[in-house]
Amino acid sequence: MPSPLTMLYYLVHPNELRSIIQWKTWHNPVHERDESKEGPALKRCFHFLDLTSRSFSAVIKELHPELLVPVCLFYLVLRGLDTIEDDMTISLQTKEPILRDFDNILERDGWTFTENGPNEKDRQLLVEFNVVIEEFKKVKPAYRDIIKDITKKMGNGMADYCNNAEHNVNGVNTIADYELYCHYVAGLVGEGLTRLFVEGKVANPALLNRPELMESMGQFLQQVNIIRDIKEDMVDKRRFWPKEVWTKYVTNFEDLSKPENKEVALQASSEMILLALRRADDCLYYLAGIKEQSVFNFCAIPQTMAIATLDLCFQNPVLFQRNIKIKKGDACQLMIESTQNLQLVCDIFRKYARKIHQKNNPHDPNFLNISIACGKIEQFIETIFPSQKKPVNMASPLSVAQAEKERKEAQEAKWDIIYMVSAVMLTIFFITGSMLFVAWLAGARFDIAFSEFRQQFGELMSLSDKPDARDPSENMVINHSEL
Amino acid sequence: MSNEGKIAIPSLGKVVVVGGCGFLGHHIVNRIFKRHPDTKVAVVDLRTNTNRSSNPNASYHDTDITDPNAVMKVFGQFRPDVVIHTVAALPFAKPAMHDKVTIEGTNILLRAAQEVGVKAFVYTSSASVILDGKTELVNGDETWPLVTGKKQPEYYTTTKAYAEVAVLEANRSPSYPNFLTCAIRPAGIIGEGDVQTLPKMVTACRKGQHKFQVGDNNNLFDFTYVENVAHGHLLAAQALLHTHKILPTIPLDTERVDGEAFFITNGQPVYFWDFARAVWHETGDRMPLSSVWHLSHEFAMAIGTILVWAFWLLGRTPNLTPAQVRYSTMTKYHSIDKAKKRLGYAPVVDLGEGIKRGVKYILDQEVAESEKKGQ
Repeated sequence: MPSPLTMLYYLVHPNELRSIIQWKTWHNPVHERDESKEGPALKRCFHFLDLTSRSFSAVIKELHPELLVPVCLFYLVLRGLDTIEDDMTISLQTKEPILRDFDNILERDGWTFTENGPNEKDRQLLVEFNVVIEEFKKVKPAYRDIIKDITKKMGNGMADYCNNAEHNVNGVNTIADYELYCHYVAGLVGEGLTRLFVEGKVANPALLNRPELMESMGQFLQQVNIIRDIKEDMVDKRRFWPKEVWTKYVTNFEDLSKPENKEVALQASSEMILLALRRADDCLYYLAGIKEQSVFNFCAIPQTMAIATLDLCFQNPVLFQRNIKIKKGDACQLMIESTQNLQLVCDIFRKYARKIHQKNNPHDPNFLNISIACGKIEQFIETIFPSQKKPVNMASPLSVAQAEKERKEAQEAKWDIIYMVSAVMLTIFFITGSMLFVAWLAGARFDIAFSEFRQQFGELMSLSDKPDARDPSENMVINHSEL
Repeated sequence: MSNEGKIAIPSLGKVVVVGGCGFLGHHIVNRIFKRHPDTKVAVVDLRTNTNRSSNPNASYHDTDITDPNAVMKVFGQFRPDVVIHTVAALPFAKPAMHDKVTIEGTNILLRAAQEVGVKAFVYTSSASVILDGKTELVNGDETWPLVTGKKQPEYYTTTKAYAEVAVLEANRSPSYPNFLTCAIRPAGIIGEGDVQTLPKMVTACRKGQHKFQVGDNNNLFDFTYVENVAHGHLLAAQALLHTHKILPTIPLDTERVDGEAFFITNGQPVYFWDFARAVWHETGDRMPLSSVWHLSHEFAMAIGTILVWAFWLLGRTPNLTPAQVRYSTMTKYHSIDKAKKRLGYAPVVDLGEGIKRGVKYILDQEVAESEKKGQ
C-alpha cells in the first residue's frame, strides 16, 4: 500500500500516475520466460538476477529465448567480479589473483567465495556461485567464449586499478583515465553484449566494425551514473570525477558540495555532462543496428533513462546535496516510449537535448560546446529521420539569359492567350451578327421580342416598369394583341 | 584550438586570389602562406591598399575584373595554375551592379583563365543559393535545387547562383577540356574583419537588445569561422590540381571534385540565440539567462511590421524588422558530408575559438579608434 504522501503526490501529478498505470497495464513482454523448463540451478540464477539488479533484471528477463540465459549469466559473472573488486575488506593479495583468473574460475565446478565482508550486499551470489558455473557449462560454446573473453579483459583491468596506489588514494586523474576506467567497467560490457547479439543474429554484424559505437553505449551509461552518484561517492570517499576536470573549479574535491561553491560546482558538472553528451549520437547510431524488439528494448531503455538523468543533473545544484533520480512516472513514460521503435527513441533524445540546451547558462565555460553537442544530436537524428523533404526541382533559371528567356516566354504565352480569346470572341460576334441580319431580312420583329423579354425578365425579378403590371386583364390584352 | 597536423604540404604553384584584399580573400592569402609557404600569390582586387600580406611571395594588382583587358594583362603576365575567385557585388547593391560584377566579372575571369591555361578555378559561392526565404533549411545538402529568379528574394543570391552555374559549366568544356572548376558554398562567415554578423551582434548588445529573445530558440543555425572557409578553398584547389594530373581520366562519381559544389561550414550547427549569447559573453555581457524577455515569433513579427511602417514615415530603419525576426527564428543548417568525403575537409578552428577571435578583433579596433580620437 503506498504511503499517504505518495498518494497525495500522484493526486497533484496525475500525468505521472497515468504513465505508471499505462506501463503496468499495457506493457506486454516481447518474450516471456518459461519457468517450467528451468532447472533449480537456473531458477536460483534468476533469483540472484532479481536480487542484484533492479534496473536490468526486468529487461533481461524479457529477452529473446536464444539470449536470455547467456545475458543473464553474463550479468551475474560481471556482478560477481564487481563484488570482489568493490570489497575493501579483502586484501589485495587475495583479490588480485581472483580478478585476473576469473575467466578460468568460470569453468571450475563448485567454486564459491565466502570471504566477502558481511556488509557487501551481493555477497550471497558469490557464496552460491556454483549455480552460475553449473549453468554456464550448458551455454553454447560460442557464447561461452565471448563471456570468458570479456571477463578476462575486465578482471585484468580491475586488477590494474586495484594495484594502482595513486588511483586508490586520489581517484581518477585525467579525462583519459576516466574514460579508460569507464571502458573497463562499461565499454567492455557493450562489446560483450554486441558480440552476443551478433552471434545470436539479432544485431547487424556491421556493429562489430564500428567499435566506437558499442564503446559509447557503455561510456554513456557509466558516465551518467558517475555524474549522478557524485554525492554518494563523496560520502563513501570515492572519486570518479577526473581530477583534470574538477581542479579547474575547486581545490579540494569535497569543496564541490560547499554552498559557497555552488556556481563553480555547476560549471564542473556541466563539463562532466558535456563529456557524456558527446556520446549520445553514437548511441542512437548503435540502436539503429539492432534487429530484434526485445534486444532493442533492452538496449534502449537504459539509454533514454540516461539522457533523462543528464537533463535532471544539468544546472541542478541539488546534485551535490543529495541523491537525485528521475521520477517513477517519468521513468514509466520513458519505458513506454523506449519499447517501440527507433524513431520514438530519437524523439526522446531530441526532447531532452532541447531541455538541456534551454537551461544552458551563457556564462558557463562549457556553454557553447554544450549547445553544439545538443545540435549534433539533433543533426544526427535528421540524417536518419529527415523532418524535411528535399524540395522537388523547382526549375529555377540557371543564368541571366535563361531567366530573360523564361520571362520572354511567359510574356509570349500571355499574349498568345489574349490573341486566342480575342479570335474566339470575334468569331462568335460575327456569326451572331450574321444570323441576326439574316433573321431581320426575313422579317423578324426584334422590337416585340425585346419588349416581351423586358416584361418577362421584369416578372422574373418581380419588378415591372408599370405598377399595375400584375393586373391579369392587362396581361390578357397584350396576349390578345399578340394573337 | 587548431587541430592540424604538421605535415609538409606541397606548393599550389602560382595562385591568383581575386578579391584577395577582402574579408574572406585576405584570409585565403594568409592561409596559403601558412599551409603552402612556397606558393606564389597574385592578389587581384579593385583597390589593394588594405589587408595586405607582407610575404615576399605576394604581389598586388589593382584591377577591375569587369575590364577584360586588365584581367588578361595580369593573368597573361603571372600565368597562374590556380584561380580562387571570391568577388561579388555587395549584397545591397543595385541589380545592374550584381549583373556587372558577379555575373559578367565571373565570365571575364573564366575566359581569361581558360585562355592562359589555368588548371584549377575555385569559385566562392554562397550557402544561400538553395534557400528561398520561406522554407527552412534542415540539414540540406548539395542535391537540393538552386533557387533563383522569382523564387529567390535576394538578387545578390540569384546572381551568385548564376555565376556558380557558369563556373561549373566551364569545367571540362569541349573547347577547354583541361580547365577544372568547382564551387565552395560557405554559410554565415565570421571572423576577424567580418562586417556582417559579429559587428551587428555586438552593436545589438550595446543597444540592450540582448535582453530579448524572439522565438523558442530551438532553431539550429550554421556559422563558419573564416579560416575554415579558406581551408575549404585550398583543399578544393589541391583536389582539382590532383585531378588535373590524371587528366583526361574522370574520377568516380563518389570522389569527384571538378564540376561540383560543396557546402563548407564549421560542422557545428548551434541554436541561433545560443550563438548570439556566446558572442555577447565575449563582448563582456554577464546578464543572467533568467533576465531574458521571450517574445513569440508572431508577436515580434507584428511589432516589427508596425515599426517598419512607422519608421518609414520618419525615413529611418527600426531596431526590429520582420527580416531580422525571420533570420533569428529560422532553422538553417547544412550537411557537410560531401566536403568531408571528397575534399577531406574538417574544420581547423572550432566555433568557440572563432567567436573569441572575431569579437576580440572588434574590441581591439574600438580601442585603437578611441586612442586615435584621444590623440
